[in-house]
Amino acid sequence: MLFNSTVFLQFFAAFLLLYFLCRNSLTGRNLLIVAGSWVFYGWWNYRFLALLIFSGCFDFCLGRWLGSTVDDRKRKALVVMSVVANLSLLGFFKYYDFFVGSMNALLARMHVAVPLHALGIILPVGISFYTFQSLSYVIDVYRRQVPPTPNLLQYLAYVSFFPQLVAGPIQRGHHLLPQLQQTLNIRPEMLAEGLWLIIWGLCKKVVIADNLAPLVEMVFDNPAIAGPVIGLGALAFAFQIYGDFSGYSDVARGLAKMLGFDLAENFNLPYFATDLREFWRRWHISLSTWLRDYLYISLGGNREGSRRTAVNVLITMLLGGLWHGAAWNFILWGGWHGLGLLVTRWWQRRFPGRLPAWLSLPATFLFVLYGWLLFRAGSFARIHALTASLTDWSAPVWLLHYAVSLVLIVTPLVVIEIWQKRSQNLLAPLAAPWWLRHALQGLLCLGLLLFWEVKSLPFIYFQF
Amino acid sequence: MKSHAYHIRPAEVARLLGGLLPAPIVFAGVMWLGALSGILPAPWPALDVDRTILVHQAQASQSPADADVLFIGDSSCLMDVAGVKLEQALAEKHHVLNLGTFMYVGFGGYSAMLSRYADANPGRLRTVVVLVHPEMLRGMDAPAYYRRFLSDFYAGADLREPDSVHGQLCGVFGLNIFQDRFLGRAPLPLPKEWARFYGFNLDLYQFMNRERGSAVDPHQYAAGPGQGNAEYHLAPALQDQCRALRAALPPSARVVVGLAPVPESFAPPDHASRCQRILAQWAEWVGADGVLASLPMSMPDRFFASTTHLNAAGRLAYSELLARELQPQLEAAANKHPPYKAADEK
Repeated sequence: MLFNSTVFLQFFAAFLLLYFLCRNSLTGRNLLIVAGSWVFYGWWNYRFLALLIFSGCFDFCLGRWLGSTVDDRKRKALVVMSVVANLSLLGFFKYYDFFVGSMNALLARMHVAVPLHALGIILPVGISFYTFQSLSYVIDVYRRQVPPTPNLLQYLAYVSFFPQLVAGPIQRGHHLLPQLQQTLNIRPEMLAEGLWLIIWGLCKKVVIADNLAPLVEMVFDNPAIAGPVIGLGALAFAFQIYGDFSGYSDVARGLAKMLGFDLAENFNLPYFATDLREFWRRWHISLSTWLRDYLYISLGGNREGSRRTAVNVLITMLLGGLWHGAAWNFILWGGWHGLGLLVTRWWQRRFPGRLPAWLSLPATFLFVLYGWLLFRAGSFARIHALTASLTDWSAPVWLLHYAVSLVLIVTPLVVIEIWQKRSQNLLAPLAAPWWLRHALQGLLCLGLLLFWEVKSLPFIYFQF
Repeated sequence: MKSHAYHIRPAEVARLLGGLLPAPIVFAGVMWLGALSGILPAPWPALDVDRTILVHQAQASQSPADADVLFIGDSSCLMDVAGVKLEQALAEKHHVLNLGTFMYVGFGGYSAMLSRYADANPGRLRTVVVLVHPEMLRGMDAPAYYRRFLSDFYAGADLREPDSVHGQLCGVFGLNIFQDRFLGRAPLPLPKEWARFYGFNLDLYQFMNRERGSAVDPHQYAAGPGQGNAEYHLAPALQDQCRALRAALPPSARVVVGLAPVPESFAPPDHASRCQRILAQWAEWVGADGVLASLPMSMPDRFFASTTHLNAAGRLAYSELLARELQPQLEAAANKHPPYKAADEK
């Protein structure tokens, strides 16, 4: 079920009604959340519900076992068991065919004719998100940062909470679990905030990202394309993926707010970052903090000298790239950002004074932009062709129309983000005078109605 | 234990949701009043490939033009006839305008376009070539949406959306008016291969202007099973519509009819003879003054974009053949009527 579909609006309206009715029972509410989340997930493919349930039950049991064990070796074995089980699940469904394809290519180069068979596995939607969420809970229990929850229903509600189930933000146990264990207070400002996040999030997806999609396809699916258009195409993709993913996160947070929950922020105006480290503190925050806390720090972080730190950064970013998809271009994208982070660290140590924002902001954005080209290109051959074409400055007759179209679509996003940035408040439109707030929300609703597709386009991050 | 508590009054919820309404209501009022008073620009719903082409052809049919040879028909006519190439092959002695449509609007729609052209360009029209794919003569109904699209465009009315809840909401809030009168004038990217060849709706429109109303199907034909049934026939139900088409034209105009080719691998062995029979009968119904009987009824697969459209190379080759076949018809028209002079307009 997609947020940007009429069936979801109907589902959520029915859910809100039932949610209101079970306001006097904590167990009833959590049961409703679990049941609703499974309906939401099963709507796409009910057979993969088993995976979600298995992952939740398995880690719940391990968490309880960890809580009742004091022996460090046994605790370590339990956490390793969780890591292996979750990553095996992820590895099989997400990376098996990629591994087989890469092995076959390698063997073919070595003239070894032992082809391995790909299984054509369908990737269960959201598997990367819920396995990471569940895994983080077990690691936190192991590190004694979170007490093990004794209630299976609460844990299943935590793992399968439908607003953030299929594309995050990845929630930590210490943030969401306590909310599932207590009475929630739903106040007018939460509803106002939730409504704004839902409207603006859907607009970012339906009005901005979905209208940018054909512009992006024009460039990235076109074998013969020249430099100026590739630049504009990368720009279009930068805003498409941002509108798509941050839009999803906003809707997720807005839906949760309507139910009285608070989900952690996932984006904080990333394209205003003035260096790459800041970019990663603002982009897909829930994943970057997950990678920092559970991978980078586990590898030793920056505690073991500059060389080891550099290796740790690179490993973290390469695996972060691989997390996005089973393809070499994602690994290359991770490597590009890893190298960028190393250069940033070196530069900031060598030249401690910060660069002026008018220089560092566009430089960071350009770096990120080329990263998006690697991310979207799809294959090494395509990356090579696009990069080589960057020096070709011929322009198709429709270049001006492309630029005008891009500006028209992106302007609302840029204007609102500048407003948020200047007021240092992501909810700045809610702090505006009432007439402006209502006018803005009303017009955004009109935009949604205008571009609301009968056949909704899926969110990009569903494929990860 | 209590699960959650609502610290909110119904009036606050009503205020929150009611606050969403004033802006859309004002917007709807501006759109409706603007449309009714004629302040807004006229409808121009060039929103995708088929509607851009239909807007272009409808607009061309009611604009002053220099064409004395008019092509009308379905998407085969639109894609198979290369206007500029044809003029060159006719030694620049004639001006051509192709009014073929991508979406089939039926012979009723074509009659409306022809009479509009005749009214907008009195005395100009010498020859009308009706060129269709044999598939169209099976008597299939033209989609109601596109017939209505054409009549609404001529009437300067905004398009009515299908009767879905979404369509009705768009209508109430004036979004249809906004879409028809503003959005269609903005550069909108075309899908996939169309985007690679043309770019945007505005580029397709300009291309058709340059190409005297013709377009190019950017696809490449791949032969294979499941592409339709090539055993064509002429539906008796078309007889009245064909007569109406003839009646829509000034008596001075010569009408010539022809059938578009299909890929060789798609054509059954008796395709040519079958098409000749269909063509002869159809010409009689239309009351045609000439028949393009020697045009090929099939061509090599490499010249096709689909079973119904020639590709960029195919349309050039076909237009050469068409010019040769058309030349005697145009000479006959010239003998029947003196060459057009500007004074004829008076």
